[in-house]
Amino acid sequence: MFGKYDLNEKLKEQDIEITMEGRGKRRKYYRKASGEEVEKIIYADGGNLVVCPVEPVNIPDMTISEHLLIEFDKPFVIEPDTKDTFYAKFPVEVGVFLVDKKDVEQIDIFTKTKPKYTLYGPPEHGVICKWWKSEIYTEKPEVDRLYEGIIKVDMTNNYCEWTEMKKIVFRAFDMKIFYDDYAYMHAYLKILKKAMGETTFNSRKPRNMQESLDIYLAKGIKKLEKKFVMEWRFK
Amino acid sequence: MMWSSLDSILQSKVGGITVINIFTFALILLISVILGKVVRLNLHRILREKIPITTLVVLEKMSYYIIVFIGFMVALPYVGFSLSGLLVAGGIIGIVIGFASQTVVSNLISGIFLIIEKPMNVGDGVNIGDVSGVVEDVRILSTTVRTYDGVYVRLPNDKVFSSNIQNYVAHEARRFSYTVGISYSDDAEKAVEIIEKLLDEHPLVLKEPSPSIFVEELGDSSVNLTVKVWAPSSHWYGVYTEMLWKIKVALEKEGIEVPFPQHVVHMAKEGK
Repeated sequence: MFGKYDLNEKLKEQDIEITMEGRGKRRKYYRKASGEEVEKIIYADGGNLVVCPVEPVNIPDMTISEHLLIEFDKPFVIEPDTKDTFYAKFPVEVGVFLVDKKDVEQIDIFTKTKPKYTLYGPPEHGVICKWWKSEIYTEKPEVDRLYEGIIKVDMTNNYCEWTEMKKIVFRAFDMKIFYDDYAYMHAYLKILKKAMGETTFNSRKPRNMQESLDIYLAKGIKKLEKKFVMEWRFK
Repeated sequence: MMWSSLDSILQSKVGGITVINIFTFALILLISVILGKVVRLNLHRILREKIPITTLVVLEKMSYYIIVFIGFMVALPYVGFSLSGLLVAGGIIGIVIGFASQTVVSNLISGIFLIIEKPMNVGDGVNIGDVSGVVEDVRILSTTVRTYDGVYVRLPNDKVFSSNIQNYVAHEARRFSYTVGISYSDDAEKAVEIIEKLLDEHPLVLKEPSPSIFVEELGDSSVNLTVKVWAPSSHWYGVYTEMLWKIKVALEKEGIEVPFPQHVVHMAKEGK
C-alpha cells in the first residue's frame, strides 16, 4: 500500500481500498478503510498519488495534540551511565497525498487503530498526548504494517541512579518516519535527571527505505520546537 | 580670535533669547526624540511576541510622546517660558482632565495589568462576570468577547479586572461530571462496568487522569452514580454533550433502568 502511484492506479490491501476514478482534470477520490468511506472530487492537472505513514497524531483531529505517548506493558529499568536499545510499536496513520512538481497536497488521512488520548503531567501544565500501549522488544517485532509501525529507541541514562520507565513521549513535529514494508522511526532518549529526559529523532534515512512526506510541511506549518523534554517522570 | 567671535555669536540675542539657549532648546528636543525612538524600538523588540500588536502600537506611541513631552517641558525655560505659570495652568487643567478621564485612566491601568497578568488569551473560552464566550481581543482600554450565541460584547477593562474570570481552556485538561440515577433493583456494579467500557471507547475521554465512577448517594427514587471524566480543555464540551445520552442508551440496552422520580404511597385500610 505504501508508495508512489499513478493517479489511475487502484490500491487494495486488507480492508483498505483507494481509487482515483475519472479522466482529465476532474477525478473522484474514493477511500474505504475499517468500514469508513470517503469520497472527494479532486481537480488536478496531473501528478502522482503518494500513500505513506504520517505522524500518528492526526485522527480524529490534528488540533488535539502534537505528542505521542507510548506506555509500556512492563516497566523498563536501566542502570546508571549506560546505553541500551529497544524496539516498540506505534500506531500507524496513513496519509494520501497528491504530489506534482509544484506542490504537495494532503487529501486524506485514515487509520485502522482506535485513537485514545491521555495527559502527560499535571492538568495545569501537562501536555495532551496520543496514547498507545506497546510491549518492549529487544529485536524488531513483526507488525501488521497498516496497523502498527516499529520505533527503535536508543536510550542513554546519564543520571547517577537506576531509572524505571513506564512511558515515553515524543513530539510529532520532530518525527522522521520511513517506510518500505512497514513504518519505521528511530528515536533517542536521554535520561538527564531522576524525573527528566529528552526525546529526539534520527533524521537519517535507513538503507532501502523511503522517507514519508511530512504532514506539517505539507500543510505549511512552521516547526518551532523539535525535541521534547519529559519533565514529569517516566512512570 | 575665532573663539571670541564664536562666543559673541552664541551670546547674541534673537528676539531676546540667546543663540546658545536656542541651541540648547533644540538639542534637548533632539535628545528626547532620539530617546523616545530608542525606547519605542526596544519596547517593540521585547514585547512583540508577548502582547497583541494593537496594544503594542498604543504602548509604543504613548511612551514615545511622553518622553518627547517631558523633553519639551525641560527645554521650554531655555526659550523664555516660565514653567511655574504653566504648572499652575497645567495643574488646574490636570484636575479638570483628571475628573473627566477618571474612567479612561482606570481602564488603561487595568488594561496594562491584564496584559501583564494574562489571565486569558485571544481564542480562549471564558466567563467574565455574567458574560460567557470566546475572547476576541484584549486591548488597552477594553476586552471584546464573542458570546456563544454570536453576540459581540465589549467589556471595559476596569470591569474585567475587578470581575471573576473563569478561563475554561487555561489548563490542558479539565474535568466534568454527571449524576446518573439507576433503579434500586439494578446492579450498580454492572452499571459502573458499562459506563467504564463506554468511556474507554471514546478517544477524548482521557486515559490519565482516569475517569472515576462511584455510587454517590442513595436517593429518594434512585441509586445515584457520579461519573467524573477528564477531557482535553479544547474539546471538553463536545465530549460532555455526547456522553450523557450514550450512557443512558448503553444502560437501558443492558436492561438497567434510569428511573423517574417516584413515591410509594401506602393507603390506610378502612377501620384501622
